[in-house]
Amino acid sequence: MLQETRVLHPVRRRGWKGWFAVRKRHLGYVAFALNRLTGLGLVLYLIIHLVVLSLLARGPETWDAFIELAKSPAFLLLDVILLAGILFHGLNGLRVILVGLGIGVHRHKELFWGLMLLAAILLIFGAWGFLVV
Amino acid sequence: MKGNGIQGISGAVRWLLQAVSGLLLIVLLGVHMIANHYIAAGGLRTYEEVVAYLSHPVVLAWEVIFLIIVTFHAVLGVRSVLYDLGLSPGTQRRLDRLVGLVGIGAVLYGLWLLWAIT
Amino acid sequence: MSEQKVTFRVFRYKQGDTAPHYDTFTVTVNERTTVLEALQAIRRDQDGTLVIRHSCHHASCGTCGMRVNGKEVLACVTNVLELGTPTVTVEPLQNAPLISDLVVDMGPFYETFSQAHLPFVRRSEYLPDAEVAEGVPFHMRFESCIECGLCVSACPVVASDAEYLGPAALAAVWRVVQEPRGTEVPPLLDWVNSEHGCWRCHVALECSEVCPSNVDPGGNIMALRQELVRRALGLSRG
Repeated sequence: MLQETRVLHPVRRRGWKGWFAVRKRHLGYVAFALNRLTGLGLVLYLIIHLVVLSLLARGPETWDAFIELAKSPAFLLLDVILLAGILFHGLNGLRVILVGLGIGVHRHKELFWGLMLLAAILLIFGAWGFLVV
Repeated sequence: MKGNGIQGISGAVRWLLQAVSGLLLIVLLGVHMIANHYIAAGGLRTYEEVVAYLSHPVVLAWEVIFLIIVTFHAVLGVRSVLYDLGLSPGTQRRLDRLVGLVGIGAVLYGLWLLWAIT
Repeated sequence: MSEQKVTFRVFRYKQGDTAPHYDTFTVTVNERTTVLEALQAIRRDQDGTLVIRHSCHHASCGTCGMRVNGKEVLACVTNVLELGTPTVTVEPLQNAPLISDLVVDMGPFYETFSQAHLPFVRRSEYLPDAEVAEGVPFHMRFESCIECGLCVSACPVVASDAEYLGPAALAAVWRVVQEPRGTEVPPLLDWVNSEHGCWRCHVALECSEVCPSNVDPGGNIMALRQELVRRALGLSRG
């Protein structure tokens, strides 16, 4: 009886959209969503980066022309965004490793903010390094 | 669960490999970025500068190890994200084969490129 | 006691509907009115077809779990005015089959949970110095988990992976590892060490945030993982 009735009862599951449904959710959930977003973003970047590197195989003229393009403000802005993504994913990833092994579980929010402070500092230094050179 | 390939390893070991590769990447990527974009004059290397940079064996070795570890972490990460969708066992096996091939392909491509320009 | 009118936006669904909809009701509440009481008032005075489920009215049974303003709570202890919103949205738990209106089928939840061997009691940590009666080795207490399903509704992985064991069952396995009480532990560890076991948790820890009963399922899962890693590295008795 129960088996039959269950078939008629729809299961409300958000699917992958649930990963990013952060309204009313707490810090850990938001960190998870951002880790996933930055991770996928970085995979996309990795693919693009590896493809762009193939220009090296086309010789100095092609590569050097690309390098000139890569010094444009638009590119530099994208580089800063990339750096922010790298720092978030790497430092929050460190937190995921620690907490995932049962270390700092009950102080995971403080750990998050401490690591994000470090990320902000590194981002400022890193971005300054990109933009000033 | 005994099986072939990625599924043959236990969940704990897979997780540990992702964790360890992540930690290694903090160092590998950190040095990669500093060496390529902060030490290099102008932050970006011209063709000649790239060839010169890669002529040092330590540099070449570092970039190769970096490539392998980052590809591994990316592949295992994407696999994990897709597994979260709740895939059927058949789809899981096909996905494992696919990501494995993509990963190996990416590393081979990188090695070829390094060989082509040095 | 001062009274105030509050608008309730309530999720409605009857078997056969193509899609759910929301009905709006106005309820007069005071400082002590809970969401469950407001729902009961709606059912009694305004719409007898509203389907709700509850039992103890004091957060012990776990029956009245639902989402209020988007967050998983036990309706019986959720104060309406403390929510602070002029409109209160009430919806059923996520990730469970919907029977009607605010009631979900907890069958699948219990099926998974029962595979964790239903740890219901444990040695009490609250009375270490109290004298025990003759013939009783130590004091016991009920486990904190009331199997309300709030954690499973809140989990982002359960949202996308129907086979994920979920925070409630995984936390239960950790409790069995802590106090086996005759249950065989290795098969349970194999069960959670699987593709859809504790490694599918991505440390969102929302389960522990919404748990109304101090179970800390997230913390339990991390402890379980630590134990599995120890065993994988040969640092623990296997």
